[in-house]
Amino acid sequence: MSQPIGLLPDETAAVLPDAAARRWLLVGAPNVGKSALFGRLTGVYTTVSNYPGTSVEVTLGVHDLGEGTVGVVDTPGMYGLLAVSEEERVARRAILEGSGQALIQVADASHLDRALPLTLQLLALGRPLVLACNLMDEARRRGVAPDLALLSERLGVPVVGTVATTGEGVADLAAAAERGAVPVDGWALPQPFADVVALLAEGHGGVRLLDAELALCGDPEMEPAHAAAAPRLWMAASSMRDARWGVADGFAVALATARRRMALALLDGVVPPAPPERRRRRAALDRALLSPWTGIPLVLAVLYVGFYRFVGTFGAGTLVGWVERVVFDRWLTPPVTAVARAVMPWAPLRDLLVGPYGLFTLGVRYAVAIVLPIVGTFFLVFALLEDCGYLPRLALLLDRGLKRMGLSGRAVIPLVLGFGCNTMATLVTRTLETRRERVIVTLLLALAIPCSAQLGVVLGILSVYPAAVAVWVCVLLAVFVAVGALAASLLPGDPPSFYLELPPLRMPGLRNVLLKTGTRVRWYFAEILPLFLLASVILWAGELTGALRAATHAIVPAVRLIGLPDAAAPAFLYGFFRRDFGAAGLYEMARRGVLGPAALTTAAVTITLFVPCIAQFLVMRRERGTAMAVTVLVVATGVAFATGGLVGWLLRAVGGWA
Amino acid sequence: MCGTVAGCEGCPIAGDFYLPATLASLGAGERATVRRLAAPKGSDLRKLLALGLLPGVELEVERRWPAMVVRMGFATVALDAGLAEGVVVSRQP
Repeated sequence: MSQPIGLLPDETAAVLPDAAARRWLLVGAPNVGKSALFGRLTGVYTTVSNYPGTSVEVTLGVHDLGEGTVGVVDTPGMYGLLAVSEEERVARRAILEGSGQALIQVADASHLDRALPLTLQLLALGRPLVLACNLMDEARRRGVAPDLALLSERLGVPVVGTVATTGEGVADLAAAAERGAVPVDGWALPQPFADVVALLAEGHGGVRLLDAELALCGDPEMEPAHAAAAPRLWMAASSMRDARWGVADGFAVALATARRRMALALLDGVVPPAPPERRRRRAALDRALLSPWTGIPLVLAVLYVGFYRFVGTFGAGTLVGWVERVVFDRWLTPPVTAVARAVMPWAPLRDLLVGPYGLFTLGVRYAVAIVLPIVGTFFLVFALLEDCGYLPRLALLLDRGLKRMGLSGRAVIPLVLGFGCNTMATLVTRTLETRRERVIVTLLLALAIPCSAQLGVVLGILSVYPAAVAVWVCVLLAVFVAVGALAASLLPGDPPSFYLELPPLRMPGLRNVLLKTGTRVRWYFAEILPLFLLASVILWAGELTGALRAATHAIVPAVRLIGLPDAAAPAFLYGFFRRDFGAAGLYEMARRGVLGPAALTTAAVTITLFVPCIAQFLVMRRERGTAMAVTVLVVATGVAFATGGLVGWLLRAVGGWA
Repeated sequence: MCGTVAGCEGCPIAGDFYLPATLASLGAGERATVRRLAAPKGSDLRKLLALGLLPGVELEVERRWPAMVVRMGFATVALDAGLAEGVVVSRQP
């Protein structure tokens, strides 16, 4: 086995010394606590490495066995092997290509009937399998706790009850996975499906059989692959299928129905009949969240308290102020500057470290003092909303509005995440079904969604003038809606459809929230700090050689065009490196009083809409191709300056603004 | 039930007789059993399968607006009216 999983990058080997040795693969539907269980299995101190960059979001961790370790892979959630989104295809590939690895299927103990069809498919693979019935506490409360021993006896593989939030059963799960029981044979497909699938699989079992089944079900990835690889065989098998079931869809439904019947038979006597559910307070809250009349005001309340007050006022105000003024200005900067002065006699070299564009004074300070507190508080709020099940409800609420922009409610998740980090959000567009939706969201993220660092700094600057904040919000909203609607009408393709499971509202688990926040902050920091340092070096070199002045001069006409003083030009230049970098430049000017309210509003609007940061551009290029990335860049620049010019002109025309 | 004078006794289709309706046509609070999936597009069909809307599944509509919210056992799913058109159900009293 040259590479255990085709999806993981080469660095995997560095993370896991014995990467080729053994792996546990966590699979299962979304919202069953898979990630929380992953956190429990790998612990806080292990190398939880997120690879949203090079692979898709396949998370890797290490479980300590006492003697030696085992790699644990967390795959994206999927409802079944018949994948709908790109993300589900990634999870499926991880299963199909990870031969020899033990599988841990995580299921919601309250609806095993929904999970067992997948279990049946996994059993047929003939690989070590453990079924983890998570959320056992909820199942017990509902009076539907399954008889685990009986189910285990029927399936022939270990079945373990777990509660990821408290850690209950996790040790048992690890022990069961360690033993690695391989299911006995006899989990082949029922007739009449078996004949057709076996024909296409040429009598092979395991992965080949599953692959053939998916192709016959009309999977858009597998079907053409089979048709191209073995046309005659495909013709024979598909005509046999069509003769009986009409088309692929009929076959898929019939097979799914048969599997469901098998699952129900297996669960007979395992799950007690559900007692009538009591009406709970949460049901009332749920109704309030889903009804637009109460839901929209609640969204605004969440936005105000969670993001404006907590991220904006506390993160971007209090925390930034403390880290900047106390940690840096008082504790760190004076000694570092003193040492640099003493050690480095040559001024340019000293400037590289502690000058106006120095690695420490600009790179490290901006990253740690301005960006980190804002991004950290944002990810905390996001993880809270994610963990309590609010995001799917928000998706439902906004579905109709988003449909006008060629999107479905599902786009809410990357769009909201974009307010934290646009780069990360661009990667998350993979959860969307069609290329059309992915392109529209990528464009909107690049253009009209300010990332949290930018948001924090911009709101910080504008907070002196409440009217300016209002103008800024309205302009961004208008651009968002207009560009979305325009893109939807210009891009070819079918309108998307909306489907989503609504997990019950749950109290967020502190541990899980902190783990998620920590992982994201670490990913973010590892990604941005090098860029900040690089930006410092480029700016320092530019200053030294005079290239910076030349570049500044080059964009002065554009800056004048939107009615800003020449001094604002450098801020736009920084914006190329990080969007928030540019905003931070404006912040400095606002503090020195160079810009008045009208100019400040114009500058804030322009810089928010302006080009995405380098990291986002690179991710766009990789995800959507060079042509698309460059198009987005050109569109964003055009829209930014056109809107900025218009806003500046309007504000001056209306007057009353200094 | 279907209105013949002979009644249901001995009728070959008794018990399997239902008035087809689409999930999209159900009102809030109505209960139904999924009978058949009739989504014209394969991609839509795979979504319905992912949601677990399979023939034989019993469900209750919780709300219709801004999108359909359907409860099946302890699971709750949301889908838009377009997708719900592709689910043929029989109403339960």
